[in-house]
Amino acid sequence: MADTELTLAGATAPDVVADEHDGDLHRTGRLALIVRRFVRRPSAVVGAFLLLFLIAFAVFGPMVANWGYDEPDFLALAQAPSAEHWFGTTTGGSDVFALVARGLSRSLLIGVLSSLAITFVAALLGTMVAFFEGWFERVGMWVLDTLLVIPSFLLIAMITRSASGKGGWLVLAAALTAFGWVGYARVLRTLTLSLRELDYVHAAKYMGVGPFTIIRRHLIPNLGSVLIIQTVLGVVAAVNSETALSFLGLGVKAPDVSLGTILQAGQSVVLTSPWVLLAPSLFLVALTFSMQLIGDGLRDAIDPYSRSGGKA
Amino acid sequence: MRFILRRLANYVVMLFVATSLTYFMASFFMDPRSNYLARNPRPPMASIDASLTAANINDKTPVLERYWHWLVGVVTRWDWGLSPTQEPVSGAISSRIGASVQLMTLATVLGIVLGISIGVYTAIRQYKWQDRVLGSLSTFFLVVPTPVLALGVVIAAIWINQALGFRLFYVTGLHSYSGSNFWLKLSDLGQHLVLPTIVLSIITGVTYHLTQRTYLLDTMNADYVRTARAKGLPLMTAIRKHALRPSLIPTTVQVAFTVAGVFTGAVITETVFAINGLGRYFITSIVQNDINASVAIAAFAGACTLVAALLADVAVAWIDPRVRLS
Amino acid sequence: MNAIVTANEPADRLIRPGEFGVDPVLSVRDLHVSFASEAGTVRAVRGVSFDLLPGRTLGIVGESGSGKSVTSLSVMGLLDANARVEGSIRLKGRELLGLTENELSKYRGNDMAMVFQDPLSALTPVFTIGDQLAEALDLHQDLSRKQVRDRSVELLDLVGIPNPAERLKSFPHQFSGGMRQRVMIAIAIANNPDVIIADEPTTALDVTIQAQVLDVLKTAQRETGAAVVMITHDLGVVAGVADDVLVMYAGRPVEKASVDQLYARPAMPYTMGLLGAVPRPDRGENRRLVPIQGTPPSLVDLPVGCPFAPRCPVATDECRVAEPDLVPVAGNEDQLAACIRADELAAQGVTYDQVFTVDESAPSVLADVPRAERAPVLEVTDLRKHFPLTKGGILRRTVGAVKAVDGVTFDVREGETLALVGESGSGKTTTLLEILKLEAPQGGTIAVLGKNVAELPRAERRALRRELQIVFQDPMSSLDPRLPVYDVLAEPLHVHGWSKQRINDRIAELMKLVGLNPDHVDRFPSQFSGGQRQRIAIARALAVEPKLVVLDEPVSALDVSIQAGVINLLEDIQATLSVAFLFVAHDLSVIRHASARVAVMYLGQVVELGDTEAVFTAPRHPYTRALLSAVPVPDPQVERTRERIVLTGDLPSPAAQITGCRFASRCPTRALLPPEKQQRCDTELPVLTGQDHTVACHFPVSPENPGLPTKEN
Repeated sequence: MADTELTLAGATAPDVVADEHDGDLHRTGRLALIVRRFVRRPSAVVGAFLLLFLIAFAVFGPMVANWGYDEPDFLALAQAPSAEHWFGTTTGGSDVFALVARGLSRSLLIGVLSSLAITFVAALLGTMVAFFEGWFERVGMWVLDTLLVIPSFLLIAMITRSASGKGGWLVLAAALTAFGWVGYARVLRTLTLSLRELDYVHAAKYMGVGPFTIIRRHLIPNLGSVLIIQTVLGVVAAVNSETALSFLGLGVKAPDVSLGTILQAGQSVVLTSPWVLLAPSLFLVALTFSMQLIGDGLRDAIDPYSRSGGKA
Repeated sequence: MRFILRRLANYVVMLFVATSLTYFMASFFMDPRSNYLARNPRPPMASIDASLTAANINDKTPVLERYWHWLVGVVTRWDWGLSPTQEPVSGAISSRIGASVQLMTLATVLGIVLGISIGVYTAIRQYKWQDRVLGSLSTFFLVVPTPVLALGVVIAAIWINQALGFRLFYVTGLHSYSGSNFWLKLSDLGQHLVLPTIVLSIITGVTYHLTQRTYLLDTMNADYVRTARAKGLPLMTAIRKHALRPSLIPTTVQVAFTVAGVFTGAVITETVFAINGLGRYFITSIVQNDINASVAIAAFAGACTLVAALLADVAVAWIDPRVRLS
Repeated sequence: MNAIVTANEPADRLIRPGEFGVDPVLSVRDLHVSFASEAGTVRAVRGVSFDLLPGRTLGIVGESGSGKSVTSLSVMGLLDANARVEGSIRLKGRELLGLTENELSKYRGNDMAMVFQDPLSALTPVFTIGDQLAEALDLHQDLSRKQVRDRSVELLDLVGIPNPAERLKSFPHQFSGGMRQRVMIAIAIANNPDVIIADEPTTALDVTIQAQVLDVLKTAQRETGAAVVMITHDLGVVAGVADDVLVMYAGRPVEKASVDQLYARPAMPYTMGLLGAVPRPDRGENRRLVPIQGTPPSLVDLPVGCPFAPRCPVATDECRVAEPDLVPVAGNEDQLAACIRADELAAQGVTYDQVFTVDESAPSVLADVPRAERAPVLEVTDLRKHFPLTKGGILRRTVGAVKAVDGVTFDVREGETLALVGESGSGKTTTLLEILKLEAPQGGTIAVLGKNVAELPRAERRALRRELQIVFQDPMSSLDPRLPVYDVLAEPLHVHGWSKQRINDRIAELMKLVGLNPDHVDRFPSQFSGGQRQRIAIARALAVEPKLVVLDEPVSALDVSIQAGVINLLEDIQATLSVAFLFVAHDLSVIRHASARVAVMYLGQVVELGDTEAVFTAPRHPYTRALLSAVPVPDPQVERTRERIVLTGDLPSPAAQITGCRFASRCPTRALLPPEKQQRCDTELPVLTGQDHTVACHFPVSPENPGLPTKEN
């Protein structure tokens, strides 16, 4: 049981993986503590419920909607919210409710996917740059710095500009990942630098444990809480970038829909049909705000300094 | 001094590598030929090729050759190339920088000053109601996507205009008065600037609020503040005299990078308020497959970042004696 | 509340103000401090009372978590806002509790001042020393610019900072730790306070610097006539400076007496245990240390009865019923003890070895094999490690070399312990790291089990790792908090390809070997106490049956009572497994107790090497002599009569270019030599000479040549 190996895929959720092969007593104890602290923050609970609601909306919304997001109602162009079109329609007759449900699921998917991927890449490369001293570290740092010279937003825009169609959102998620990990990797490197000097890492080194085993077994699990929090807050950042790019016409493009593209459509009709703007804005803010509340709650709940609390 | 020169040299190399990478990326992902192909009637192939070659963006020329041509132009003549419309990029950029600076300066100063002040104010009142209210507000604005915030401000302004019955706020552009009366000109600029300034100040301010609060809380609990109290300084005085200055050191670094942003503009805000700054220009050039303009903007942004990094070092050395002397 | 009242009453009656014809300058009565925490209310201080008379020094002794620091901070009013303080603190008759922050700040720095533990973080990094000193003066006195400056120079001069006028412009980071602590003392005495509270003022300092700072504190006390509260865990320091001692345990005073009385005739079993657990630097007798079993109780839910009862060998059922009060011991009204059996124990005059049972040490397997016949496990010859001295951030430039290790030679033989001792900057840690790397060193050779590591093929180097294991200083950071103990112990075994079954058996064996319950292998490191964690670290080092274990300050992070048990464990392990130890430590008492041979390092070189007994009883290098004389002895009699060689100045920067003897700049012997001999010290680097007891000095101290200055000033 004890030699269950951690898999690299587990890097994104090391807390869970690392604890899996221990006595149930400790694991539940630790989890229970985190849950207890999390639940104690009303704002975190609000965030969690809000997120659950949003996910439910994204999943079940299209099923209960009267109209599909890609079936315009040509008899109801630019209509205010009504019994038929709950959130109103756009100038093209598309049902805003259906659009928002569809856009929300797109934005969520892009946000979660790229945030997970960013955390994974950043954790791996950030710890590696910090762990291998000498030329690898120096070259690695130089590369990281160089990648940070050009604002990543510009580079992402270049890539996603050419992608369109149904698969465009995947390109967007990939581009967000490709240039979004650098800053996180630097942060994780700094954290790893202090971990690297901890005696248990030295001990493993002097015992002859291989470098990748050390990274996998000691470094990444001990960054675990940071990684989890970062993944949650990373969703906020990714959703924001996605919205901005789509709003500018560079991210998700028609015929696909994201919250950003609805905003773009609504921008030109601010005066005449404000509801086109209102619904996606509310959902977008609800999404990012709930994620932020959850992230803040988690940060307080998994405070790394209270880890050594309980004594035998 | 030699040391600063070496760092400068390193920065130049970094900028060169980053810009070259951007050039290749732009050449790979952008397709200026499609601009012409989409025209109706479609121009003859030969004339398309001629236009593309003239701008050095013809995809039939090997990319390395185009790159070399471009590089020679940049290095020897400071010529950043032509747009697909055969317009020189260099001139277009400099006029946009001016607009961006007009837009950003006030907002940046306001954002930084307000943000830091509120950060200090709330740190000293940690967990009091002022801290909680302002903290929640800032967290909220921190996560609101910029388009939503900007459009929200626009809607509010239009609503106020309608309620007032005359146009107090302008929601597009920077100028609409064309006379020569200085005061009217200034108030015209002001009416245009208020809305984007509000948006940009909020964006800048909330970050500074939240980070400055954290930094000050860190130094407030430092041993040397306790020493200051042990000397006989009351808690608040000890914080003001001993914790505030060390807490401003990391903020200084942040300020340097924010100041660099004054020159590169704000993409979303410029788009929403239809201001022809650098940010908007970048979007236009990407949409128009303008390889040379995109690369030039990226290079300019990169240069600003590196200047900011240098500025940050100088500023920290100025404020932190540990760096100054070691 | 009842218990508190009764606990306090007798104490109040017994402390007699005006006993010496003076009123106490500080009077603490029934002080209680508690904090709210996640786990519940932490009752950090529970009923402390004491009187402090002008010019006297009260030592407050206790292990971590005993409440001694909280006591001092509550006197100063410097506790966090979430602390609840009750009782009474009167300074020159005025009640301090209940004062507002602004009212209290009039007293702080003026009537009472404080010196903190960590000098590195106690001064504001962005202001000059002069500014920080001037601030203290300006706050409480109305002085002109010039007066402030003159007084600042005078203060810095008083605390022994050379060139005080120029140093006023320096920033804290330009000072060494010892110098910063002097500045802290200067700030503390700036306004001639009546009370100086020193909270572990020398714990973060090296032993020779500690001696200097303690001297400065004494000078400061003499100049100001202040009363001093000295808070420390070090029984040696207290023995040297205190007039009276208060011993604290679990937030409560458990014994209070004059320093002589306390050390000679302790009445409370805990005090006896502490005295028995601490190794003596001045005695070579091979006595077994006396560990106190168990660990201090949690301050959140204290057991009923005497908090020490669970660890006390003489506890009776009665002890577990109610917490005893601090009452006078029969026959000596000045000695107070919180123990229902104190009278009985004092009457019999028992000491720790009668109270605590000492287990027999294990017989050594190699006891009969003389050193010369034992095989060497580690030979280090002329080891060198220079670091380039760099400046700058992203782009570094080299501006010189730090000779961290510069020509170190020693060997360790089978089953013996060699101690490397030296102050910070002596290069002992760098030496260790070079050895542990098992790679070709920058200069010199390292041979493990006779194999030169520079010439090893990869596979053999890997195999050799097995023979060389390490135990680190800090048990908090040496075990991965995310791994259960089983995995911690299995890690080295996995590396060397043991089978699952063998690993299982071995882990059970190891847990028993280091005195832990094998059923606890599923627990996480955080569920063990510091001493237990250090045992786990030792078990991990021993897992693959190495020939040599490097112990890097293995007990310095542990409390005295825990430390003794770990030292005993190491002794037993060596005796039964004949493993060799390379023991790095700064605590000379521990070294004298735990090692057979000792190498004294100074600035990257070994200056003296020999059998521990020989080096400790007849040190030949002037540095060794100074080092040994600086170690405080936990015996007030000895402390009062001994002569101490206080070295001047700090360790030179390791980057300094020194051609001659590296100790020349601080050497008390050199100062007495005629100029032509001094010339030799300054230009010629001495090498280790001698047979078994070697010394690197041109003019070593010898029994025939004892003409050494004993005190510098």
